Amino acid sequence: MTKEKKVFNEVLLEAVDEGLLILGESGRKAIYFHLQNSHSLKKEDIPEKPEIFLNGLRKIFGLGAQAIERSIVRCLYSKLGLEFIERKDYDFLKYLDAAKNMSEKEG
Amino acid sequence: MPSLLAAYKVSLVLIVGLTLIYAFQGYYPEFIQFFSNAFPPVIAGAVVISCGFSLEKYWHKAREQFSMVWLYFTWGLFLWFVGEAVWAGYTLVWGIEIPYPSIADAFWLCGYIPFFMALYLYVKIFGPVLSKRVLAASMAVTLGLTAIVSITLITPVLGAEEDLATMMVDFAYPLFDLALFSIAFLGLLIFLKGRLGKSWLLINMAILTNVCADMLFSYTTAQGTY
Repeated sequence: MTKEKKVFNEVLLEAVDEGLLILGESGRKAIYFHLQNSHSLKKEDIPEKPEIFLNGLRKIFGLGAQAIERSIVRCLYSKLGLEFIERKDYDFLKYLDAAKNMSEKEG
Repeated sequence: MPSLLAAYKVSLVLIVGLTLIYAFQGYYPEFIQFFSNAFPPVIAGAVVISCGFSLEKYWHKAREQFSMVWLYFTWGLFLWFVGEAVWAGYTLVWGIEIPYPSIADAFWLCGYIPFFMALYLYVKIFGPVLSKRVLAASMAVTLGLTAIVSITLITPVLGAEEDLATMMVDFAYPLFDLALFSIAFLGLLIFLKGRLGKSWLLINMAILTNVCADMLFSYTTAQGTY
């Protein structure tokens, strides 16, 4: 794993942690617990398997998962010092890819 | 989720059991009189305790929206429990004719405020995901139901020569139920495709049942047949 990727993954993990706080401290714990139990996804594996994380969120919250995704993405962009522009054709994974590309270019 | 499954099973048994008890009430009128007054505070108390456990589990700090959601839910359920207990007190302990509106109504009606706050705070977090079209459709459903309830009640209540306070309470129950429904329905639309959708469906069904029950209550009270 390159140094840039490692840094990005750490920032993404922090963003997930902060973004999930819209559910409250206990809600966040419950989500991590559920992801580990139902999707065998540990918290630290989220940056490597964001699609499983996304699938888990959507299975719990349905359409409501979008609010959590947006919260995480906003945190991520803010932490990376990137401007967050909302795009209708973007989903969580596309925002992550775009952030990764932009931070690599800037780095 | 074995505990949730157990809760669904217990609820199902309760629904079937209560339906059977009330279906054959003609055979045991004295028992049903006692049961109808004694059982509601028991079940309302159990719900307060259950919600209290959730509050203990999910409470983190007052600034946290979800902590407040559970606090408001518990507070609302507690007020409804007190309403049920006061009603049981009137009928089973003091044995006096229940005035209408009574102190029990004050507790029941006040209970709607924290319930509304709890639902509102919960849905507000996820509200931005709803499109304007879905919001408009949801509003149309609520307004339609409000029109049905108002049209059904307006003639019997206004024609009943009741005092102003009684008339207001007659309308307040079903309309407050609809205020809860207006928010809960949004919750259902948000979570419908997820696991939380089941819970929101149950919440919506419960509120709609309450709309029907309160509409019948107001109607029969106005007709003097309750």
